[in-house]
Amino acid sequence: MQKYWTVFRVNWQNALQYRGPTFISILGNLLHISVLLYLWNAIYRSGQHLGSYSLSDLITYYILQLMINSMVLSYISWDIVDEIREGTFSNFLVKPLNYLYYWFTINLSGKLFEGLMVLIVGLVMSFILIAHVSLPSQGITLLRFALALVLGGLLAFEFDFAIGILAFWLVKVNSFKYMLQYGMFFLAGALLPLDLFPAQFQAVANALPFRFLVFFPIQIFLEKEPAPMAGFITAGLWVIVLYIILRFGLQRGIKRYEAAGH
Amino acid sequence: MKPPVTEAYATSLSGRWARYLRLYRSFLMHNLKNEMIYRANFAIAVGMDIVFMGVNVVFFAIVYGNVETIGGWTFHQTLILVGSVGVVRELAYLTFRQGFLQLGDYVRTGNFDVMLTAPMATFVHLAFRHVSLTESLGEGLMGLFLVGYGFAHLDAASWISVPLYLLMLFNSLVIYYAFSLTVNSMVFWLVKSQELNTVVYYFMNTARYPREIYHGLGKAFFTFIVPSSLIATTPASILAGRAEGNLVGLSIGVAVVLLCLGLSVWNWSLHYYSSASS
Amino acid sequence: MPAIDVKQLSKSFKTQRKEAGLWGSVKGLIWRESFYKEAVKSVSFSLEEGELVGFLGPNGAGKTTLLKMLSGILYPTAGEVKVLGYTPWERNREYQRQFAIVMGQKNQLWWDLPPAESFLLNRDIYGVDPKAFERNIDEMVSLLDLKDLLDVPVRQLSLGQRMKCELVAALLHQPRVLFLDEPTIGLDVISQEKIRSFIQEYNRLKKTTVLLTSHYMQDVEQLCKRVLVINHGQIVYDGLLDDLSKRYVDHKVIKIRFVEAQSATPPPGLEGVVEWDAHHAVLKVKQKEVAATTHRLLGELPIEDLSVEKVEVEEVIRRIFEEKPGIEPG
Repeated sequence: MQKYWTVFRVNWQNALQYRGPTFISILGNLLHISVLLYLWNAIYRSGQHLGSYSLSDLITYYILQLMINSMVLSYISWDIVDEIREGTFSNFLVKPLNYLYYWFTINLSGKLFEGLMVLIVGLVMSFILIAHVSLPSQGITLLRFALALVLGGLLAFEFDFAIGILAFWLVKVNSFKYMLQYGMFFLAGALLPLDLFPAQFQAVANALPFRFLVFFPIQIFLEKEPAPMAGFITAGLWVIVLYIILRFGLQRGIKRYEAAGH
Repeated sequence: MKPPVTEAYATSLSGRWARYLRLYRSFLMHNLKNEMIYRANFAIAVGMDIVFMGVNVVFFAIVYGNVETIGGWTFHQTLILVGSVGVVRELAYLTFRQGFLQLGDYVRTGNFDVMLTAPMATFVHLAFRHVSLTESLGEGLMGLFLVGYGFAHLDAASWISVPLYLLMLFNSLVIYYAFSLTVNSMVFWLVKSQELNTVVYYFMNTARYPREIYHGLGKAFFTFIVPSSLIATTPASILAGRAEGNLVGLSIGVAVVLLCLGLSVWNWSLHYYSSASS
Repeated sequence: MPAIDVKQLSKSFKTQRKEAGLWGSVKGLIWRESFYKEAVKSVSFSLEEGELVGFLGPNGAGKTTLLKMLSGILYPTAGEVKVLGYTPWERNREYQRQFAIVMGQKNQLWWDLPPAESFLLNRDIYGVDPKAFERNIDEMVSLLDLKDLLDVPVRQLSLGQRMKCELVAALLHQPRVLFLDEPTIGLDVISQEKIRSFIQEYNRLKKTTVLLTSHYMQDVEQLCKRVLVINHGQIVYDGLLDDLSKRYVDHKVIKIRFVEAQSATPPPGLEGVVEWDAHHAVLKVKQKEVAATTHRLLGELPIEDLSVEKVEVEEVIRRIFEEKPGIEPG
């Protein structure tokens, strides 16, 4: 346990060194969100609307998306791919560290750090748009929201780690990875709320676990989720199943890596 | 003193352009040879690009499933917007984009030194060093297809607008370049360029929404500070028959001013390059 | 007009300090103390055209920083430099076409392509006339023995082969001034020797002005008559390599071997004995007493072999660097 705590602290220090770049990347996402808010605003001003959403709901949706992008969504696969491809992964084989737990710790500390920063941005933004923010009506909603964020963060990490260790099998994984990530975020509801999708498409997206990353937590916050409990259980099961798959996959990957003789 | 072996150095403007064109050809050929080595990757990359563009189209298809127009733009007109962004992206990979993506590595390792000692403008050298035909080819092709598809479905399509459309695409490329250059100048302080290029990426990612959605301060912001509202809207308006002379003039003005600004910021920031010894 | 003229050149870097520990990190979030580190302090020297001069100094002494300012890679904090009449950091195209810098730790060749391709690109960048290009390549390829390597991807070359190719790429435009920063670092002895003799030959043939830094004393001893010794950002010696030992070392070493076994104690009154046994002896003798001592030894003892050696340059340099900065040696 102690060693992972140290990893956590060291990565936190490292994140501090790069707080400028982190802030800049939050600003980049903020830029995107602002444009989408203008887009919805233009649509609602012209008397049209999207599904059952009010403009306030949509604005809240995207402010929450901004925060979830920094607090929940994981981007460690870039580094994992680099390590495996460049052979620095070998350093881990000789260390008494579990690669999965190691990256989980790195991701956790990174997400907490970025989360703190984005919280400030999100609060400022909510303050400016206070008249257009839909706040939950009950206190329990916030608790549920927090739980959904934790489950989403776990799943996001597991998916991202899975994409990362694809590099054991695929030589040039980067562009492929890019597509997977983009597709995954789309199906998570990062670009558009899933309930605006056509019915068949919605059925597919609902059956997939990606919705737990973005859409599900936001629906909870907006108190639009019909069955939060069922969602929690499904998400929890996915976390466990993926964990088992990842442990197995990592073992196979390492065997393959060693066989290739790096 | 012995006579220099180098050819007479062109000092006239046309001579300099001719020289840079020759250099561009030379760099492009070298990069193509380089890409040939990894040609297996090529087909995958094109496929990915098409999926990527496809998601953008799906986004608008879903929104247009709920609404008639966005800021006065119909679905088919919007396809020209989305497609134009794809074409500008491919043009950017053909001229400068990849260099900026590598800039952080160059600065961190100190290999940027070479760009400061070779007898070429540093910003041109950086741009040409990694010009790539194939990196974004899928986006370019898909973009062309979308533009063509949207154009074919317009009520009032006019072929006369095509030359001006192409000219304004080029103008958008200049804006894209100038913005990239300005943002990337910060690399000498941050030593990482990944996040800077995330900003540039979002800049292009927000370019596909019609300019008409903005109003007030936002409109000014997305015109002068982060001019993404001009990138696709200006050329696409021309093709879609929605053009106003004002917009064309404004876009050209922004391109010129931003380019001058970008070049001065870049040249000034070179003072802060500390040339790491790896 | 000197080829390189440096006056009172200084460069300081801004660096930041971070307090250790978690609290330090939290504080660092808002504010970090920054201070200036002087890498080069008011350095002046000049080189005539065609000179081959060595730059000596320990790691971090400021050698590389100086070369980078002369190349226009770094801007100075203060001072003036003219190389071939140009101010380097103005990065005048004409200047850039007349000098080259090769850094042993950096790579400008295209990694996945054969070196011939990088040469072609440099030909275009430097606008070298195609005929002159062919001629230069042929000449250097034969000097460096590169014939069979031109079509092999750079990533498959050994470090030594790569360094040779880096040199060719840098010299294609026949620069009048050449800066070499650790050109032999990390190379095996044979490659080092090859590159040394190439530099020597090239300087002799083309009268190129060369300024070279190296960790390896042999590089400097073989190549340079004149050396600049730099320590803590300041030039502490500028002159002939030979004089350097004279100035810093006022003694020589006499080594003798006897014809037959002698008594194990030196004759009385003989000074400077370091070692003395039945077969060998080593003496450390003041410069001006070398003649007298040698004379006495030869007269009194049955000597088979006697040699007078100067102290190794490496030893001399070590002495200089052990001195505190700013103290005038002598």
